[in-house]
Amino acid sequence: MAKIFAHLRSIAGALTLAFVVAMAAPVSAQQPNSVNPQASAVKEQQLLQQLKTIKGLGTIPDTKSYVLEHPAGRDWREFRTVTLRWIGGIAILGILAVLIIFYLWRGMVKIESGRSGRLIVRFNAFERFVHWMTATCFIILAISGLNITFGRPLLLPLIGAQAFTDWSQWAKYAHNYLSFPFTIGVVLIFLMWIAGNIPNKVDVEWFKRGGGMVGHDHPPAYRFNGGQKAIYWIVVLGGTAVAVSGYVLMFPFYGTDIDSMQYAEMVHAVIAMLFIAAMLGHIYIGTIGMEGAFEAMGEGTVDVNWAKEHHSLWLEDEKARTGPDQSQRQPMATPAE
Amino acid sequence: MKSFIAACVVAIVLAIIGDVALNSLQQPADAAFSTQAVRLG
Repeated sequence: MAKIFAHLRSIAGALTLAFVVAMAAPVSAQQPNSVNPQASAVKEQQLLQQLKTIKGLGTIPDTKSYVLEHPAGRDWREFRTVTLRWIGGIAILGILAVLIIFYLWRGMVKIESGRSGRLIVRFNAFERFVHWMTATCFIILAISGLNITFGRPLLLPLIGAQAFTDWSQWAKYAHNYLSFPFTIGVVLIFLMWIAGNIPNKVDVEWFKRGGGMVGHDHPPAYRFNGGQKAIYWIVVLGGTAVAVSGYVLMFPFYGTDIDSMQYAEMVHAVIAMLFIAAMLGHIYIGTIGMEGAFEAMGEGTVDVNWAKEHHSLWLEDEKARTGPDQSQRQPMATPAE
Repeated sequence: MKSFIAACVVAIVLAIIGDVALNSLQQPADAAFSTQAVRLG
């Protein structure tokens, strides 16, 4: 009897062992062949590539919230934190370096025949108003926008977390709401000056002769020369692009999904960086780069000799339109007694 | 100078109008992305 029980125990143990082995085999067979999440060497990137998104179920109306992991977001983060900072840094610091070197080499472009003391109206009050509304908004939009890209690595270590938070909050409010006068300004600039900014053969010749920047040449130009027309179209086209992409960002998911919002941010940021670089050139030539240039937008009038040297064809048209000598004599300063 | 000052004033006024207009239209995120059955606050 004891021998029978001993045999039965052996058989039961063998069957139990066989059962355990049989159950273990299918468990490993259920895992995907290429990824074994139980393995200690599994790579997250590899896992994410196996599954385009990691999505669950939900009951709230916002179906975007059902997506728990969006691997494309990692590419977008890489663009924002690495690629964009390189693009912006190279464009903006590059143009600054070029302008500094150019100024050190060329200096300020002077009125070669000297000031005549006679003035001619170049831009009226409405034109100057539209320009300055757009320009001041652009400056604040540029600074607040650069803070979004560069603020964390460059400014936060300098001023600390609390100050950076407060500054960034107000900068973002300014960025959002000053977009409205900026956009209106771009539209008005387009309408106001489209007639004088259609490219023509005179501009080709102007560019061929270096725009008067090299040497002492004075290529003829109408009201807007080739360089100014380039700035005009950069403002109109670039301004439209940042406005459209910016409003897509300001009104999130109105007809867009996560991918579209990421693309809008990339377009907005890249164009903004290039826009800032172009405007630094415009600011340079309108201030320290050329004698007599700032007055055109500051006071609305320019010296007749300045007009002769830089916009000779425009001056001829103005004289033909208004009469032989409608220029104003510049008021003389009265010495204090 | 007058044009510049007028430009700054008008820019600020337009920004404030935009602020008031958007705040009157826009729901806060916790209300916009939930149903009435959700207990908020």
